[in-house]
Amino acid sequence: MAERRHTDIAVIGAGPAGMAAALTLSEAGLRPVVFDMNATPGGQIYRQLAAPQVDATLMGQEYIAGRSLVDAFVTADIDYRPLSRVWWLDRDGEGYVLGVLQQGHSQQWHADRLILASGAMERGWPFPGWQLPGVMYAGAAQILLKQAALLPSAAPILAGSGPLLYLLAWQYLQAGRPPALVLDMAPASRYRTLMRHPVRAWHGRSYLLKGMRLIADLRRAGVAIRQGVSGLRASGSDALERIHYRHAGTWRSLPGTLLLTHFGVVPEPQLMRSLQLRQHWQHEQQCFVPDRDATLSAGTNLWIAGDGGGIGGARNAEREGHLAGFAAIASLGRQPTKRRSATTRRLLAARRRDLAARPLLDALFRVPEGWLAEQPPETLVCRCEAVTRGELDEAIAQGGSGPNQLKAFTRCGMGPCQGRQCGESVTRLLASRTRRSPDDIGYYHIRPPVHSITLGELAADDFDNTNN
Amino acid sequence: MFRRSERARQPGRCVAIRLDGEVVNVPDTLSVAAAVLHVHGWRGYRRHLDGTPRAPLCLMGVCQECLITIDGLPNRQGCLEPVREGMVIERQGDDPHG
Ligand code: FES
Repeated sequence: MAERRHTDIAVIGAGPAGMAAALTLSEAGLRPVVFDMNATPGGQIYRQLAAPQVDATLMGQEYIAGRSLVDAFVTADIDYRPLSRVWWLDRDGEGYVLGVLQQGHSQQWHADRLILASGAMERGWPFPGWQLPGVMYAGAAQILLKQAALLPSAAPILAGSGPLLYLLAWQYLQAGRPPALVLDMAPASRYRTLMRHPVRAWHGRSYLLKGMRLIADLRRAGVAIRQGVSGLRASGSDALERIHYRHAGTWRSLPGTLLLTHFGVVPEPQLMRSLQLRQHWQHEQQCFVPDRDATLSAGTNLWIAGDGGGIGGARNAEREGHLAGFAAIASLGRQPTKRRSATTRRLLAARRRDLAARPLLDALFRVPEGWLAEQPPETLVCRCEAVTRGELDEAIAQGGSGPNQLKAFTRCGMGPCQGRQCGESVTRLLASRTRRSPDDIGYYHIRPPVHSITLGELAADDFDNTNN
Repeated sequence: MFRRSERARQPGRCVAIRLDGEVVNVPDTLSVAAAVLHVHGWRGYRRHLDGTPRAPLCLMGVCQECLITIDGLPNRQGCLEPVREGMVIERQGDDPHG
């Protein structure tokens, strides 16, 4: 019978939270195993930073700021496993069992302790034509920029709401490829929000200033920006050809081949859901987040650090990574050293300060909750199984009252992305139609595998033997 | 299409891949999906089970829109696999797999 591999502590994800957690553990003399899907450490925010393809003048300081963390991570004594997907996760006594797929080979691991740092993903936000080639997430465009300094050959149109939208526009401007148009879909009421919450505005002043500076640079360079855009459609036969938007109550359209959208980011839910961790709807962030206590613990020997626990940004993720690392060390029964206690206090204070600015950002970039309910019936909600808003509404009319029922009736969420891109849309639509809260409605039941795995990959190693 | 910026750090290392039968050199830091977007753009990337054309959406392993045939194996997640010297890549642009 093949052996299960064992580790005292596993970390899933090598973004800022996962790297910081692993570093803290390794400084305490532990040797964590770190599983990460990507080829190089850094997560999305610090992607490719170990061997940057673009410089700081182009990407902005936030990107380069991650360099010391990435450098420390790659030189520390950590069992770092890139290109590794955790496709299965379950409780195993007081610990956890992980099915890991590493470059075509499946392995089974037992971890006494687990830090989940699997980060965030773009919020799936259906609008007519969003499945057309030529429509991509702004985050994807940024990945191309980081991976190999790739820029669109023709000026793109950017649309959506969130800090990333203007940041990408600004980066493209620096790179000599300014966007043709920025469609800002943040709520028109946001300036009122600022006036109503002067304390929050003060906490968030550095973010506000930065945003204003980006917008001023874009305007000065002549980039067209429409604020208060309230509708979006993409059309074309085999790829995107036209972009339609509603501005000041009127629909307008223009030709375009590349539309980059961004409607905020939400925690990547799959591993947390497959463990059936309790989640609650976070009204400010407009998404589900896992329940965590003050030590970031979400269960026995389990901690969640970074954006996977609620969106807080890269700096906060790094702090939470260290904090989760300290909490894991404390759970081993080790007495806290003076230095560790002082660092913990400092991190907690910095985290409080940083998170105080968050509600302001959330309010500035709110997405309209009723959006999907107002989209035309042919709008795809589940891209994988091609399920439309109209079909979902029919199922609701026939008595479908929960996400799992809608899934059974329509196949919505049954495709290869396993509902990652439609799950919260379905919750939202049900909330709009039945006037219940998202907490009341809930989310799909998620069962492993959380990544597609072939029988060949399963057979390629010892995984199935271990269950004999 | 996505082209390489003149502002890219030089020298960039490249690998040779065979993409739909044609040998092309692409930066070695790219994923398969990114390499295809670089060489051919999003048109013709993939045809979905419902018959509609599709192309990568997220490039970070979430949406599964980047499925592509790599070294003979269909439906690989192209955005999670880095390009390698000699890799054989075929777009699933005509007939839907799976
Ligand atoms: S492009 Fe989304 S999973 Fe690959």
